Amino acid sequence: MIQNKIMCSISTKGRYFTTLPLAISAVISQTKKIDKLIIFDDNDNPQDMRKENVYSHLFQIMDIKGIEWEWLFANKKGQHHNHQMANIQGFPWVWRIDDDTIPDPCVLEILSSYISNEIGAIGGAVLTPPVQFENSNPTGLIDNIYHEPNIQWANIKTVQDVDHLHCTFLYRAGITDYNLGLSKVAHREETLFTYGLKQKGYRVIVVPDAITWHLKSPTGGIRSDDVKGLFEHDEKIFQNTVNLKDRTIVVLNNGMGDHVVFKHVLPDLKNPLVFSCYPDILPGRSIHEAKELFGDIEQYNIYRKMDEWQWTDSLENAYRKLYTNDNN
Amino acid sequence: MLIGSYTQMIIISPYAKTYVNGQTNPKNYPYWQELIPLINEPIVQVGVKDEKPLVNDFRPNLTLAQLEKLVKECRTWISCDSFLQHFCWDLGKPGIVLWGQSDPLIYGHPENINLLKDRTYLYHNQFLSWDLIPMRSDCFVQPATVVDALSQFSQCQK
Repeated sequence: MIQNKIMCSISTKGRYFTTLPLAISAVISQTKKIDKLIIFDDNDNPQDMRKENVYSHLFQIMDIKGIEWEWLFANKKGQHHNHQMANIQGFPWVWRIDDDTIPDPCVLEILSSYISNEIGAIGGAVLTPPVQFENSNPTGLIDNIYHEPNIQWANIKTVQDVDHLHCTFLYRAGITDYNLGLSKVAHREETLFTYGLKQKGYRVIVVPDAITWHLKSPTGGIRSDDVKGLFEHDEKIFQNTVNLKDRTIVVLNNGMGDHVVFKHVLPDLKNPLVFSCYPDILPGRSIHEAKELFGDIEQYNIYRKMDEWQWTDSLENAYRKLYTNDNN
Repeated sequence: MLIGSYTQMIIISPYAKTYVNGQTNPKNYPYWQELIPLINEPIVQVGVKDEKPLVNDFRPNLTLAQLEKLVKECRTWISCDSFLQHFCWDLGKPGIVLWGQSDPLIYGHPENINLLKDRTYLYHNQFLSWDLIPMRSDCFVQPATVVDALSQFSQCQK
């Protein structure tokens, strides 16, 4: 069914000759075949890996299996930029895995078996040997994120609704954006993203029997950079988002007429917090303040969203799609 | 020369936003000079300072309160695709919008008379900044069409 087509995305940095080929091999060995694989190459000195024997074989295997694949040299802005590109490729579902993870062969088949109209993201266990946290019983709620291990760090015994996911998961694409205001270390990027799906009214769940092995490494990925200040920057954005989680954030960084049209949507929003260019038309806090709080406000750019959606309906209804849970 | 208030008058808003790059906004209706003499009613032009006055009564930089008062006093209004069409819609005052390359189905309001020459003139990407889109005059309706709509509008209002 076309509506369930799945693209796999891997963002990679510093792992050409360690775990990346293992991850690719695991993806193409899934019992449920993906429809496309995109590898976003964020290496400082990207190479043409077709010249490498192992990669050459992996690419040929994908060709033989009929798996479309693409290798993109990315902008080195951090993996959240790459994931956002994957998010808007036009596939309804994206399975993101890290370049240091190895999903068991059945993972995608299990995750995708939970796809339904109400589901936004599905995650399995992400285990790092030796396995810890088996008796921790975390809730997966955003309010408990500082007080409990991530629910995916241990075997998952039953299907459970959570607020956020980590590392690798299957998600409904094009619903919410990755926060591109995060630094290049992209700390909490997947937490913010999956929580965004939840805020859009979709269920985010963890499911049993879908284990991905996380071969954590002291090198490669975001650990390649000097990161302390960047982590703090990203953590601040995360905290601001969580602190305002009960508000519907509205950012009107556009024209006066757009503000007038939006006024007709505002009464339908739950507990709105408005940031406005024209407070005489629609009272609100400043756009500068929105940038300070959330890092990136492009996700609220109604013109970019209409372009992305290939919109043909009214501006008013575009606002409704962006700010309410009307996902039609 | 300011004429004060009228019991019946038409508001016109000829210009959309001016761009810093100096390019003419492609939403600007190109035939105002021809249209205005065909309207046999008092006309008040609204807009911002430095825009070219097309009638004697040009009232630039009105506050929103002043503009609202004026809109409530007017018989109707004629505008390009700019702020005024949204503002009047919000106030429940229908008027005439002169469309060129922007799409009234997206940016317009069905309560107004939306004069679009033909959908084939719509710019293929409606979501770019309009300062990137070249002006073309041939995509707008002729003044006679506007006058005709104005008379139909009058009948509708009776």
